[in-house]
Amino acid sequence: MEKLFNRKVTVTLKYLVVAFVSSLMLMLIMSSFAKREYAISGFLTIGLIAIALTYLTNYSIPMKFFLPGMLFLFAFVVGPILYTVAMSGFQYSTGNYISKPDAISRIIATGIRPDANQTTFDIIVGEDSAKNLEILASDPTNKVYFLSTATTKTDLDPTVLAVDENGDATKAPGFHPLTPDQQNAVDQKIADTRFAYSSAYFITIEGSNVASLKSQTLMYNSSTDTFTNVQTGAIYKDNGVGDYANVANKVELLQPGWRAPIWFSNYTKLFTDPQIRKPLVKVFIWTMVFASLTVLTQFALGLLVAMIMNRKLFGRRIYRSIFILPYAMPSIMSILIWGGMFDTEFGAINHLFGTHVHWFQNAMYARAAVIIVNLWLGFPYFYLICSGALQAIPAELSEAAAIDGATNRQIFRKITMPLLLQVVSPLLVASFAFNFNNFNIIYLLTGGGPSNTLGGDVAGSTDILISYTYKIAFGAGTQNLGLASAISVVIFVIIASISLYGIRRSKVLESFK
Amino acid sequence: MNKKKLSFVGVVASAALVVSALLVPSANAANKTVIVWADNTRGPNLQTVLAAKSDWVPGITIKIVTFSGFDALKTAFDNATALTGPDIVVGANDWVPTGAKQGKLAPVTLSSSVRASFTSNNLGDLTYKGVLYGVPLDYNNVGMIYNSKLTGKPLTLGQMVNFYLANKTADKLTAGLCVAGGGMSFGGVSVLSALGGAPYVMTPNGSVSATADPVPAATVAANINKFLLDKKGKSNGFFPATDTGCKTAFLAGTVPYAIIGNWEWTDYAKAGFDMSTLMPVPGVNHGQYGSAFASVSGAMLTVFAAAHGVDQGAKSVLNNFFGSAAGAVAYQNVELRPPANKKAQKDASVTAAQKGFGKSGAMAGIPQIGAILNGATGGKSFWDLLPAFWTDVLVNGKDPLTSAQKLDTFFQANIAAGIPQL
Repeated sequence: MEKLFNRKVTVTLKYLVVAFVSSLMLMLIMSSFAKREYAISGFLTIGLIAIALTYLTNYSIPMKFFLPGMLFLFAFVVGPILYTVAMSGFQYSTGNYISKPDAISRIIATGIRPDANQTTFDIIVGEDSAKNLEILASDPTNKVYFLSTATTKTDLDPTVLAVDENGDATKAPGFHPLTPDQQNAVDQKIADTRFAYSSAYFITIEGSNVASLKSQTLMYNSSTDTFTNVQTGAIYKDNGVGDYANVANKVELLQPGWRAPIWFSNYTKLFTDPQIRKPLVKVFIWTMVFASLTVLTQFALGLLVAMIMNRKLFGRRIYRSIFILPYAMPSIMSILIWGGMFDTEFGAINHLFGTHVHWFQNAMYARAAVIIVNLWLGFPYFYLICSGALQAIPAELSEAAAIDGATNRQIFRKITMPLLLQVVSPLLVASFAFNFNNFNIIYLLTGGGPSNTLGGDVAGSTDILISYTYKIAFGAGTQNLGLASAISVVIFVIIASISLYGIRRSKVLESFK
Repeated sequence: MNKKKLSFVGVVASAALVVSALLVPSANAANKTVIVWADNTRGPNLQTVLAAKSDWVPGITIKIVTFSGFDALKTAFDNATALTGPDIVVGANDWVPTGAKQGKLAPVTLSSSVRASFTSNNLGDLTYKGVLYGVPLDYNNVGMIYNSKLTGKPLTLGQMVNFYLANKTADKLTAGLCVAGGGMSFGGVSVLSALGGAPYVMTPNGSVSATADPVPAATVAANINKFLLDKKGKSNGFFPATDTGCKTAFLAGTVPYAIIGNWEWTDYAKAGFDMSTLMPVPGVNHGQYGSAFASVSGAMLTVFAAAHGVDQGAKSVLNNFFGSAAGAVAYQNVELRPPANKKAQKDASVTAAQKGFGKSGAMAGIPQIGAILNGATGGKSFWDLLPAFWTDVLVNGKDPLTSAQKLDTFFQANIAAGIPQL
């Protein structure tokens, strides 16, 4: 065994692992570079160099232990934070998703319109004698046949053509049809070609055997960066916030727009736009109440159960197992079950109590339901923590206090609780931070509702900041990822501040000094 | 670094390069394959159809990518890029305005024969600002089913309410009419319509009226008072404001009438319910019916097809497979939804349930216009407003007249903002 793990074997193993990891990273670098994800490619390259320098040299022994963690920290924590901060400075919403060059090409594409009759032709794609792309077009209803290239249109006499049972021309003099494979090989060329028809119209291909008559309604002028509607004469200019707007009517925009930098506008909107500020303030207050109440109730019940279970009881082990069950069950399952139980018409809770409470349609009841379900999900955690902490408190302290005449309540307040809080304070802070962003419970139980939508509310009564942000970013209607990013950054700052304050107050980091 | 070590590093780096080069997939591997994205029900069904016949377009392989659900598909499409996105996406018609605004859907022109296979309403469902973006696939609608073991075919809403109130205790009914499919907005719109309201009023020429009152508040409020509330102004229990548990309750026989989606009718058929009992929700007067959305899902062309070099191939797939009667029949024989293709609708293989939903849609169907429903003003979409309306009048005891007036105001604002986008 000792021989097996001698230096040569371990060093060889190390090089094999490094080679394997390097291979994977090289693959990812090439793949991400090919997909034009240059930031990811750059990060992976730096990571690869760092791995090589760390594990193939002895420059820094501690780095051999820290490097994997640091790489993951940058990839999955620092990176997303930086990306969110960057996105918060952009007009990044429905209608403004793509880059400006892409938006221009999309506007040009949608600016090509079929003629009023939506005329289509049955076609065969081929080449003329000079190997130019050519179509043999048939309109069997009107007995119209012609050949068309990008520059010329030649009308054909139906009498000299070979036609099939549908009346479509199959052959024409000087026309050489392409096989399906040949067509597929020049797909892009076919798609890009505008076949000649008349001065006002041209023909585009709409599949292997269909073409349609089109005209360009929007013309782009790259020197002035403007679009002109050739039918109405309207001019559309870059409005500076990611759209081409009609110069004469600035609310008339061409779509799509693009992701444009708007710097701090999303942040200022949080405070200046009443449509955003009002719901945000309401949601923020409820988020604080929800997180505080959750932590308080979970801790209180967990502590109570722990104190009861700390005494000698018949069947204590069985009780302990039962109390841990809510924690052991997947929370998603529990939340969905509770959701069904709270249903007004068909739920078990109303049936059991003989009530007809509209748990999820009334703001007060919905909030109560959220707290109750979260209490059920979270108290076993505090029960486990408090059980351990209570058992760690020396019994002599309580005994000495009792001898000195202290009552049970005094012993709890003056000895047990302070010692317990020393241990659980960081966990209370962590629990607060977790519940501040507890998306699952809100999304799965109430969906953030109920919402007084008819009263003008945008946010739901149980929406917390994170679920509200999700709605803004990924809601059914207009999505605003830029604004959602700005709110996410604000949430991050709040959570970081509260956590830092809580940790400092609890002095938990002092032991590391 | 000494020479020996340097050479070792060189060996490691070379080995890594060789392995990584072998691992990188060939860039040309997917050429001339048209990629179609679909949800968890449509995806496997499309695969079944394509396994039976794959040569819909010569030289083109159709590859189906299935997502875990409709929402997952939508999220993936929202995040799709030229390098990851599909050539064709199968989705709801209200994806069209968003997809067009996001620059992800590409215009398509169908051949005259394919266009003639669909109604102008169906094509209009997939049109945004006058540009068509896909081929209609099948109707996406709901219909009302009644439990024939409990009651007969109702002629009016009043009959249904009377039946419920008279038999509530004896039959242990938990509700009279509930929404099992489509939620309180998509499914519940037919009840609003039966009561006299609508998200928008359609003119005889098939356009949205800019002037007609979508929710005549006095009429709707009077009907709510008469049919849905008791003398104290509280819900009489006939129509719950939530859809939770409705399906289970209907299948258990404790709800006589339910609004179900055409995507789930087999669950009811398997439980022994007769699909000939499908019908629109009856209105307050005999012969009137509440309108439901009868829009189509579509196979939509994406801008990524051009980026992948299969623009023509994807257009051919739309015309030759999704748009053809043969393709529609083959697909709907597996998917079991009412086909949008007119020739396919007449095919002998289409089931009674598919025809029932089609008939229900034809009797009382309104187009689902995303540009209006998705709410251009203040984020207050139809999808949020209607459930809130039900909650206000049926749960929170708010005055139906005031609530109906508010609903009307929002609907009118959405109509005004949406019409210019059509």
